[in-house]
Amino acid sequence: MWMSIQLNEYSAEPLYHQIEVQLRALIVSGQLSEGAMLPSIREMAQQLKCSVITIRRVYQDLEAEGLIVTRQGTGTFVAKVDPEERSRHRLEAVIEAMREAVAAGLRVQCSDDELRELFEKVLREAKANRSPPEESGHAEIGKGDEG
Amino acid sequence: MSGVGQPAVRMSDVRLERPHFQLGPLDLEVPAGFVTAIVGPNSSGKSTTFRLMLDLTKPDAGTIELLGTRIGCGKQPELLRRIGYLPEEPYRHDNAIRGVDKAEFRRNWYPGWDVNYYRELLHLFEVDPSLKLGSMSKGMRRKFDLALALAHRPDLLLLDEPSSGLDPIAWRTMIGLLHRHMESGERTILIATHIVEEVKRLADYIVFMVNGKVLGMYEKDELLTGWHQYFFPGSCEEWRGVLSGMPGLEGLEDTGGIVRAVTGSAREAEEWLAARDIRPVGRKAMDLDDILAELVEREKSGKIQRTKGVTR
Repeated sequence: MWMSIQLNEYSAEPLYHQIEVQLRALIVSGQLSEGAMLPSIREMAQQLKCSVITIRRVYQDLEAEGLIVTRQGTGTFVAKVDPEERSRHRLEAVIEAMREAVAAGLRVQCSDDELRELFEKVLREAKANRSPPEESGHAEIGKGDEG
Repeated sequence: MSGVGQPAVRMSDVRLERPHFQLGPLDLEVPAGFVTAIVGPNSSGKSTTFRLMLDLTKPDAGTIELLGTRIGCGKQPELLRRIGYLPEEPYRHDNAIRGVDKAEFRRNWYPGWDVNYYRELLHLFEVDPSLKLGSMSKGMRRKFDLALALAHRPDLLLLDEPSSGLDPIAWRTMIGLLHRHMESGERTILIATHIVEEVKRLADYIVFMVNGKVLGMYEKDELLTGWHQYFFPGSCEEWRGVLSGMPGLEGLEDTGGIVRAVTGSAREAEEWLAARDIRPVGRKAMDLDDILAELVEREKSGKIQRTKGVTR
């Protein structure tokens, strides 16, 4: 199973945090639906080229938040997410990505106005390129064999 | 996945003195349930460490435990049956026998030998076991020896430069098989390598070894995200004072109008820079070999006690 999780090697943000934010987003946005099986810790580590220590930490945190459940001997599955939780988490990944973008701008001494302009421009471009709204971006995930 | 409990390997105060080489004192604990990579330049003592663990070389001092059993107390077939070992060089005295005969011997020696798995390994690696071991190409011999080391599904797998002689396809196959081997979560792999990509793809922990000494053991992801380099316009003279308080600072280097600052505590350094509104013109995570070079440098200049910020 392939997960659309992208790690930024240039960030000093710990890997577990990067993965956690993105995996949480996949779950609360519904891209990973309730009951979908997640890769095993070792598989996920292999896929993202990180250590099982990092993945275990991510799974433990998300389990503590009630977003996933581990069933002994069977695997780790996406839990039922209540709507309130969903709306709370919905923007998290977006904010994270915005932070990155702003940091990139500040690194090359962009002014506040320049950044705002760029944001408007990129937004206009994105809308122009995507006339009819798509159903879902990454539908590949969550097809794990259950049962 | 267990991970807690006794380590798979425990070496305490192990020393070995040879006229041209001194190993140790080595203190090393390899956690069970993980892949630990021993990384270091040639002749840093990696292979000797493996030989000591397997009781093929006797230490002058110190104790070694594998899977909870102290070694060096006579023959220990029960323990050895739980271990898989791929030496750096193939055994030359096997050259005259055919692969099938060697496998037959191993099958009798290891109760855990899984014939189907062994067959699958040969198939995946495209090895012809009817050949004499001495007639196999370097790559095929390596693949055959790897299959032998894996086929009894050892609890502890010791791999000494496993990929030497492997082509990229076989290398990928090996990486996949080693991940599969670890899937159950209880097994342990200790791998000596100096191939960066291998460490990235496989390791959970990294042990740096230089000149017969362990420089430190690190969680891979923390190590790789912890070490960054930042670039500032100007000369070292201009920046030395400004950056002297930067967390984890390892050194400044003039690279022709641009100063390169290396830190072992990237996150803290980033916050520190931001708080002072100091903006680097560039930054980059460091690769494993760069980090190793920095650690060797630090060892040479005797700053070894300053490992804070890297270990956590």
